[in-house]
Formats: sequence, structure tokens, C-alpha cells
Amino acid sequence: MLRLPTFTYHRPQTAAEAVALASEHGREAMYVAGGTDLYPNMKRRQQTPTHVISLQDLPGIGAVEVHPQGGVRIGAMTKLSTIEHHPHLRQHFPAFAHAVREISTPLLRNMGTIGGNLLLDTRCSYYDQSHEWRESIDFCMKKDGAICWVAPGSPRCWAVQSSDTVPVVCAMECDVELVGKNGPRRLRASELYRDDGIQYLTKQPEELLTYLYLPPATGFKASYLKLRRRDSFDFPVLGVAACVWTGVDGVVTKANIRLGGAGSYAIPASESEKLLVGSKLTDEVIAAAGTAAMKPARTMDNTDGDVYWRKKVAPVFVARAIAACR
Amino acid sequence: MAFVGAFTRRPDADAKVRGAARYVADLDVPDAWLGGTVRADVARGRLVRIDRDPGFDFTRVVVVTAADIPGRNVVALITDDQPLLAQDAIEHHGEPIALVAAPDRATLLAALAALRPVIAARTPCFDMEASAVVWKRIAIDRGDVDAVWAKAHRVVEGTFHTGSQEQMYIEPQGCVAWPPDRHGVVVVRGSLQCPYYVQKALMAALDLPAERARVVACTVGGGFGGKEDYPSVIACHAALLARAAGRPVKLLFDRHEDLAVTPKRHPCRVWHRTAVAADGTLLAMDIDVRMDGGAYTTLSPVVLSRGVLHATGPYRCANVRVRGAVVATNHVPYGAFRGFGAPQTCFAVERQMDRIATELGMHPVALRRHNALAPGDRTATGQLLDDSVAAHAVLDAVVAETGCARMPWRTQKRGRRRRGFGVSLFWHGAGFTGSGETKLKSRVAAAVLADGRVEVAAAATEIGQGTEAMLRAIAADSLGCGAADVALTEPDTGRAPDSGPTVASRTCMIVGGLVAQACRQLRDRVGGDEARPFRDRAAAFVRDGGDGRVEVEYHAPPGIVWDEANYRGDAYPVYGYGADVVEVEVDVATFAVKVLRFCTAIDVGRAIQPGLVRGQIEGGSLQALGFGHLEVVTTQAGRLRQDRMATCIIPTAVDAPPMRVLLVERPFQHGPFGAKGVGEMPADGGAPALAAAIEDAIGIAVDAVPATPERLLAAWLQTHPEEAL
Repeated sequence: MLRLPTFTYHRPQTAAEAVALASEHGREAMYVAGGTDLYPNMKRRQQTPTHVISLQDLPGIGAVEVHPQGGVRIGAMTKLSTIEHHPHLRQHFPAFAHAVREISTPLLRNMGTIGGNLLLDTRCSYYDQSHEWRESIDFCMKKDGAICWVAPGSPRCWAVQSSDTVPVVCAMECDVELVGKNGPRRLRASELYRDDGIQYLTKQPEELLTYLYLPPATGFKASYLKLRRRDSFDFPVLGVAACVWTGVDGVVTKANIRLGGAGSYAIPASESEKLLVGSKLTDEVIAAAGTAAMKPARTMDNTDGDVYWRKKVAPVFVARAIAACR
Repeated sequence: MAFVGAFTRRPDADAKVRGAARYVADLDVPDAWLGGTVRADVARGRLVRIDRDPGFDFTRVVVVTAADIPGRNVVALITDDQPLLAQDAIEHHGEPIALVAAPDRATLLAALAALRPVIAARTPCFDMEASAVVWKRIAIDRGDVDAVWAKAHRVVEGTFHTGSQEQMYIEPQGCVAWPPDRHGVVVVRGSLQCPYYVQKALMAALDLPAERARVVACTVGGGFGGKEDYPSVIACHAALLARAAGRPVKLLFDRHEDLAVTPKRHPCRVWHRTAVAADGTLLAMDIDVRMDGGAYTTLSPVVLSRGVLHATGPYRCANVRVRGAVVATNHVPYGAFRGFGAPQTCFAVERQMDRIATELGMHPVALRRHNALAPGDRTATGQLLDDSVAAHAVLDAVVAETGCARMPWRTQKRGRRRRGFGVSLFWHGAGFTGSGETKLKSRVAAAVLADGRVEVAAAATEIGQGTEAMLRAIAADSLGCGAADVALTEPDTGRAPDSGPTVASRTCMIVGGLVAQACRQLRDRVGGDEARPFRDRAAAFVRDGGDGRVEVEYHAPPGIVWDEANYRGDAYPVYGYGADVVEVEVDVATFAVKVLRFCTAIDVGRAIQPGLVRGQIEGGSLQALGFGHLEVVTTQAGRLRQDRMATCIIPTAVDAPPMRVLLVERPFQHGPFGAKGVGEMPADGGAPALAAAIEDAIGIAVDAVPATPERLLAAWLQTHPEEAL
């Protein structure tokens, strides 16, 4: 029987109050937005906060605001389904709206929030298991254990970044706003993440994600392509976000390619980006960029899909994502 | 006929749609405790002892071990080899060792954690090819295959594998049991397909006579075979706990436990060697079938039986040798799943037919049409097919609908996304195999109530497939009354006679046939002027002291003879026939398979409720397509790797292709209104047609399912080694 453990539930009315509660309870506390990731994890004892701080009453962070200059500010508590169906986002940020639509099921998107998806726990086939299952292998270092079962000699955890939106917001150079003990701060979304399966976020535990800022949708084209077993719903085995800036002559001036589901953070495919800049998006250039993309990826046997197959199909997938930016 | 063949509203629909239906977990049972199971954490071993954590106060709970079983420590089914609770030998991961009942969930979880079985591990066997323990062997011989090989134009060989598959019924398994009442009667209510199977198991475990073991099926949230045998385990466990606790006990599985320990489809390997003439005539079929039965016999002998009896496919062949074996391993016992052995052997024979077509340069439709069974032909067991033979009719129907007979087969395709088509032709015996129905002697009763309505009493369970609507339509038309004038009893061993288990595509043909027979007798007995409503006449008949109750028993149709010892004769009273056409698009970079179109023609004899029959066909076909390319069920050290719905995946509505369902109706003279069976047949043809379509699209042999992208890539690299990393 998978049941929630006992915990104290808090409903702060302001961000400052929420941060104060989180600071007070430290490692025992976690924020909950839609609860679609945290509560199942709690049932499996992957995350075991004794204080759960609900963000549902916080004012002003549940809406999509379009700015006259073209940028968009999205409150962290905005439901994924709101974003998915938002006409302005669908028209001007199709890659982002598409990535949101690729998350799980309509039911989950009606509960899940953009903030929760941006902070989604990393995943691993040795970690996303019931307590009894993990206990039978003496646990892993991400929770309750000492070893990484994917790479037993490894000093670090290799759990996988599995959010569909993270590669896109990193590639599109979006910003996020955090509220901490000293008030708000704004940073690049890509600076929020780090290459570690356990400490996959750079923010302080009590820091609260409040907003996502999309830049004005001019000068670039972006895409997101998701590899998974079923078209209906599954976590990404590979999620490629590409964002390409081109001049009037069709020559690429800047390119960001991020690989989700391939490591503990959305990995930049730097070699591919270099190959694209200064060139036109010809089939040859795209194919070469695809082949170069997987060098930094850390494809390991800890997600759905056999490793060899994932390595084999990844360059093609990256090339298709880039081609979609033409 | 007002209701047979018409669309009528399901009697169970309203409550299910409104959420008012009471499934076992919804039952409000005052004072009930909750039950749980202590399980083995190794695949094979010897139970040394069960340690009790001294820190837990065991007076707060009730614990049951093998020593506390008043009757026999067996799950009484076919062979009494499976203990209810392990006593000494542990044969599979998750095997039940002890039971706990507690007043609340927290106490239950604490008690389960405080019981620690000490098990000395032994070396397990997981390889069915290496297993030396055989649960059942079957041989079928017709003609002399060995006299043919030298004369044949071609001899074609192939080996085919099918994986396991999870039923994934909507509602996990569970039972509630009450302790013996003042008459000594033990009552169990649960999510189950076969009340009388459970009763038999309870009688053995608790040493009870039949009248003191009462089993009632609740509203059931799907079964697909998964609730054929396993509810006997849960019911006995719950009843043992209730007896020990002196109060009702609810034993409800969550999805995780359900996935980990309940039976799934048998993994299977089939080898074929076929001799063919230049024109495609099948001269000899030599077939070897091996199935992994898992740790105990359970239903494996009958699964194997249905498997080998369908191994030749619906094809005419004068010389046949079939050898079948189902063997022991230390996997969780495999069991019943829609199709019951036939989807495995159907996959093999259909892939073999495509292989033969490719070798001969024949179109797969032409090869099938050339060999398909027709009236007057005999099967491998020598059964003469003289009634309701629709192999050609179903094939013609899908060919006319899709034009697949003109589609080129195995031509070289180009481009990133390549399309292909596949066809399958299949059959499915309706009802129990061999003399099963004759031995079972199913009974059904129909009785006039005081208000003139008729109550039909049968143990057939409504598990979502539409049993209630179907039986009611048959009863109403047999009586000549309105559907609302027919009441159906709950499937309750205390009230309904044993009409047999709800399995084997038998509910319509066998139980429905008995309902029709009983109702016709009642109609004759009530008599009177048929211009007057039946209900008025029936009410008057019983008011005047007439005997308004009829009970009938099954007798095999005349001329049906089965020789169990030699596997000769009439294996089934009749067969249903089906043909599928699948069109796919395969991405040769990712090997993702998209099913573009699915067309199926199914011969059910007569569709009693056409809407429900179509629903059965669509659902079963989607399960078959999932079996074909999506559903991976594997084990590691004997333990299921896909033990959650996040990893044990099935196709969703979004993943379902557009489906065209063609009903073909070739009435069977001994079926009610001509009906045969429908439940299992749609599970047979999807996987081989899908595999054929993939093969046609990308030109690689697809001899194993599920044909996952990983498997397709591996097969592709065999013929395209230059593309390897």
C-alpha cells in the first residue's frame, strides 16, 4: 500500500510568509504547487518532508501577463493547461506551448504548474521506485543510500533531468525570478540548474520560484522534440530544444541547443551550436550538428529505452529539432 | 426479435457512469479490519522461520501462517501444488508467507514490517528452455509429416517469440471475507470472474462443505482473464484472516502489489517447419510450442491446450505434428489473459505464413486464401468443420474494405518514414476446450416472480464486457417479453446455479444458450394467448399455482466427441473466425511505429448486442496491438521490472489507431440465436498483422513481439551493419 506519510501542511498567504516557513523548517520543509510530482514521490518515500508548504494562496503568481514590448511574464502557479491553451503563447512561443502540451496527460496538466515543472525532481530507474523496492537494493545515494546503481564507482548521482519545459526555457534564454530571505532576484533560467542528480538546482532551499520571463519573440525560432515510447504520455527519453537566431541572409548568428533526458541538467550541445553559427541551415550542416550533439550527453541505463537505441537515434532527433527552426 | 441484434441500453451503465456502482473497495463493512500479506523477497529458497520484531505488540493484530489453515494448504484449481501460504519451499518472488489483519492501515503496515521471514536462498531457474520440470505436454498428430519433407517444393522454418503481457484491468484485485456466521457459513465478496472457482478453493482451504462457502461477485472493474484464478488466493487469504480475527477482513491489493504478484500472459516460443507445394498448398506442418508456466501449475495445462489447438491457424493441412510443453520456472505463475495461449501460437503461425509467402513470391492474402479452412475441411485433431465456417468470409471482408490484396508485399521502400501493411487470419474455439463443457455440466435457472417478471439465475459475471445486457436480450426474446421484465440475479453461489466460469468466450454461447433454453421452456409452460403481454400471463400462471421455475443443464450438441487421451476429435463445439489488416508507418531513424489504420472482420455467429460486440472487438484489438509493439513485461531475478503504471505501459485512447470493425455473422445452429463467442478472439490477430506491416515497411524480419524500437533497431543493424555506432 502506497500511502502518504504524516506531515504538517501549511498555507501561507504571502511569499514572504512562505519563505519564512521554509527557512524555519529548513531541510524538513518543501513547497508544493500542483502536487503532481511531490505527492507521488512522498508516497514512495523518495521525498519525505515533514512540513509541506502550499503555495496555492499566494497572490499574483497564477497568471500569464503579456507585456507591450512582447515579453511574457508567467506566474509560477499558472496551470500547465492554461499555458497550453493560451492563444498568445501558442502563436508567439509555439515551441514552449508545445513542450507544455507534451507533459503527461490533460488531467495532470490541469493540476500541475509551470513552476513545479521547472523544478521537477530528477528521475532514475533506481530512484523512482517504491520504498520497499529501493530498500531491497539497499537504496541509492539520491535517497537513503550511499551508492549510485547506474555507475557504482561514481562519486555523484546521475539521475536525469526529465522536465519538458526546462530545455526550452534554457535554450530560449528565459529568466526566472526567485524570492528569498533578502527579497526577489532575477536570473537566467539556465543558471537555475546544475549538473548533479541530487543538487540539481542552484537556488537555496527556501528560495521560492515566482515568475518565468519569456523574452520578446523576435529574431529567433525555437523547437522542442520529445522522444518517448507512447505519443499519449511518458517522460522524455530525450527532449531536444533548439533555438536559432538568424540574420536576414539566413546565416545563423546564435544557436542554443539543449538536451533534456540525457543527463542531470539540460545539457548544452556546444559543438553543435558552434557548427551552426556562421552557416545557413542546410541539410548537411544540420546533419553534422546532430552528430556532434551527443558528445556531451551522458546516456546511461537509468531511463526507459535501451542505451544503444537512445544513442543511435539521438543525432537524428537533434537534427530534426534544428531543422524545425528553419 | 426485439432485443437480439438491436442496440439496447446496458443495465449496468447508469450506475457505472454515475460512479454509484459498488466495487469491492467501496463496500462499507462495519468493524472490518484490513488485511495484508508478508511475501518472499527471493525467487527460490527454503523458509527457515519467521522472526517477529519484539518491539511490535502483536496482540494488536492477527497473524495467520500455514500452520493456521484448517483445511488443505493448497489453492485448489487443477493440480494441488500451489500452497496458500509457503510452509517450506519458496518458488517465486512475492510468494505469500504470512497474513496480517489489523484495525487500521498504520498498524497493518507496522505489523507487516515487524514480520521477517528468514529464507535460505536456492538457485532459481528463469530460462524456460533450460527447465527440466514440465507441467504439461500435449501432442497432436495427423497424417505423416515425415513422409512429406522430401517431396515438398519448399520447406520453410521459423522460430517465433512472444513476451508476457499484463491485463491491466481498471480495478485492482481484492476480496472481503466474513467469519463463519452462526450457521457456519463463510461469505466472501470480491472482484472476481468465477464465483464457483473461488468456492471450490474456499472449501478446500477451510474444510467446508459447499453450502457453507458462499461467494458473491461484486461489480467488477475488468478482468481479461486476470481474475479467473487469482481471486481464489485472495479470497482464501481474506477468509483465513476473518476466521482468525472473528470479524470481517478486507484484503485489497493496490496497483503495485497487483502488478507484482498476479498472473500474466505466458511467454512463449514456437518453432515451425512447413512443407509447401509450388502453388502454396500446405503439405505438412511441424510445430513445437514451449511456454513458461512459472512456479506453479495454475491454469498452464489448459492455456497450453488452447495454444496447441490453435497452432496451425485456420488452415487446411493433411499432415500435422504439434508438440507442446509448458514448463516450470521460478517466475510468478503465469495465467489466464484474453486469448489464453492462442495469441502466442497465432502470432507464430501467421508470421510463418508470411515467411512462406515471401519465399514463394506469393501475396500473403493469396497464400491465406489458398489454404483457409472451408466447410468440409478437417482440423489437425480431425474435427470436421461443417457449420458456421467463416475463414474465407472474414478474409474477403477485410480485403474488400482495405484493398490489401492489391498492395505489393515486401517491395523495397524508401524515405525516412516507410509504410507497410500486414494481414492476419485467425480462429478461436468458442467455449471450453475438449470435453470441458460436458464435464462442467453448467446449469442456469429461470423463475417467474410474483409480478410476472422473470428472474434469470446464472453465475456469469458482468466484468465490463456486457454480460448483463447480452443475457437479458436473449432472455427477453426467448420469453417474448420486454427487457425490463427480465431480472438477473447477482453472481452468488448461494443463489445462482453453477453456470461455469466467465472465461473462454463461453458466456454468450454456453450460458446464453442455457438461458435461451430455460426461457423457451418457461414460455411454453406459461402458455396462453401470446397476444397478451407475457408478464400478465406469467403472473397469472404462478398465481394459479403453476410451477414457474425451470432449471436446465448443458449437454453437448449431438455428434460432438472429444478424445482427451489422444487429442483427437471435436476440440470445440465451433470456432469463430477473424481477419485483421494493419497499416503502419515506421520511422527508420527512430524505429517508432505508428499504426495508421486498423481494420478487422470478426465472425461471431450472431451479434446479440452489436454495440457491445464492437466494443469488445475494439478493446481486444487494441490490447493485441499493444502486445505487438508496446507492452514490455520483463523480470529481473524473478521480480517484475515494470511494477507500476508509469513503467508497465499499455496503449491509451490517444495511442489507438482509427479502427474499422466489420461484423460477419455466420450463425451456428447450436448457439443462441446463432451466436458463438467474441471475448478472446480480437486478442489473436493484431500482433502478427502489426509485425507483418513493420516487416513490409522496412524489410526486416519481425519474429518476436513486442516489436519495440530497440528490437527493431537491433534487427535492422543485422542487415545494415554499416549503420552501427
